[in-house]
Amino acid sequence: MLPLEKEILKEVHQISPLSLIASELLSMISKPSHSLNQIVKLVECDASLTANVLRVANSAIFSPTVPITSILRAVAQLGERIVLTIALDACAGTLLRKPLEGYESGVNKLWEHNLRTAIASKKVSEFSSEIIGIELAFTAGILHDIGKAILSDFLKNSASDILSKIDSNEIPDYLHAESEKLGIDHTTVGYQMAVAWGLPSPLPEVIKYHHSPSAADVEHRALTYAVHLGDIIAMMGGGGTGSDDLKYHLDEGFQEYIDLSASDLETVMLLVEEEFSEIKSSLFQAKEKSI
Amino acid sequence: MGLIMLGVGDLGASNKPGDIIKTMALGSCIAVIMLDPTTRTVGMVHVALPDSSVNTSKALEKPGYFADTGIPALISAMTVHGKHNGNNRDFIAKLVGGARILDSNNTFNIGKRNALAIKKILWKRCIGIVSEDIGGTISRTVAVDARRGRVIVSSPGLKDWSI
Repeated sequence: MLPLEKEILKEVHQISPLSLIASELLSMISKPSHSLNQIVKLVECDASLTANVLRVANSAIFSPTVPITSILRAVAQLGERIVLTIALDACAGTLLRKPLEGYESGVNKLWEHNLRTAIASKKVSEFSSEIIGIELAFTAGILHDIGKAILSDFLKNSASDILSKIDSNEIPDYLHAESEKLGIDHTTVGYQMAVAWGLPSPLPEVIKYHHSPSAADVEHRALTYAVHLGDIIAMMGGGGTGSDDLKYHLDEGFQEYIDLSASDLETVMLLVEEEFSEIKSSLFQAKEKSI
Repeated sequence: MGLIMLGVGDLGASNKPGDIIKTMALGSCIAVIMLDPTTRTVGMVHVALPDSSVNTSKALEKPGYFADTGIPALISAMTVHGKHNGNNRDFIAKLVGGARILDSNNTFNIGKRNALAIKKILWKRCIGIVSEDIGGTISRTVAVDARRGRVIVSSPGLKDWSI
């Protein structure tokens, strides 16, 4: 183990825990059998989340004709994925919104990339030959790159060197560059964070294999491919995390699990852009209103 | 001096000295930059997809989103900024963007499909492409200044360059 790897893992174990409400929401959404009422009951237990959910539901982007005052209506209006996004932002926003200096990227870029990937993973999962819970695909997508939040600090001033090595084929991709430099890559760091946060299966596994879905357990492989493609779609749409944009390989094994034609992909890209703008505006407008 | 920022599917044109038109993180999208030497107008459209048949209502709402509706819309926007001889054959174009993921297959190479669609449309309108920086695996940000038509490209981790 390289000394830096030890230091990185030490940092993983020092991260602040997720809030109880965010952990419970993640657990619930990971189970296919949950209901809207269960989500509502959970949200009602947390005054701060209740206030934030109501604020977003009443923001200009949703512009309800009658103000929404019931949490049931608010959750039904927003959908559980936006509720989860609000809960995660409240407890891990500082970590997930910070600038990724190691990837030469600014504030909010990781958060926006994770959100775009979440939306794209959900859309892609609709083309899967196996049934994938779309809320689970969204959840796995929004967490897939959390490892970069920690790894970034150890990659400062390395982008130019890494890019020239990839261009000259000395290193196959950015993932290998991270491993070569630090002894660990962002998928493994993300997996360790997911374990430290106590995230339920299959979320840690999807985070670990999102760049190599063919190596994922067969039970979760279709979901992992959905997130793999969701990540690529986010990068292609200009929503990457900086110097590593597009410096990863497409795993062509996706065709066995995801039946996505060129024309389907174009439709998905368009829908992702629209939904991303909508969610981003609703969260942003609600935050502005609360200041 | 003003900065005209374009999002995905946006377009803008100006002949005001000092104005800069900029769009960020192109990915597989392509920025079509057009220059009219007669009126010294520059314009840019951030094209995301090659063909509007994928969603015709989106094309009406935001024509710049697609190559086939975006380029005519850009030409119209440019002509607002000065009377030219009515023949846009004088226009010249520069292209930036159209990247792909490593090992991309045909399905995922939207950047290439965008480039082909854009070149076909420009060719039909007899608009010459004087320079291009397209393809590869980098997400580019591009800016053009209205006074000189100078195009600067940047990407995280790389030094800026001009085309």
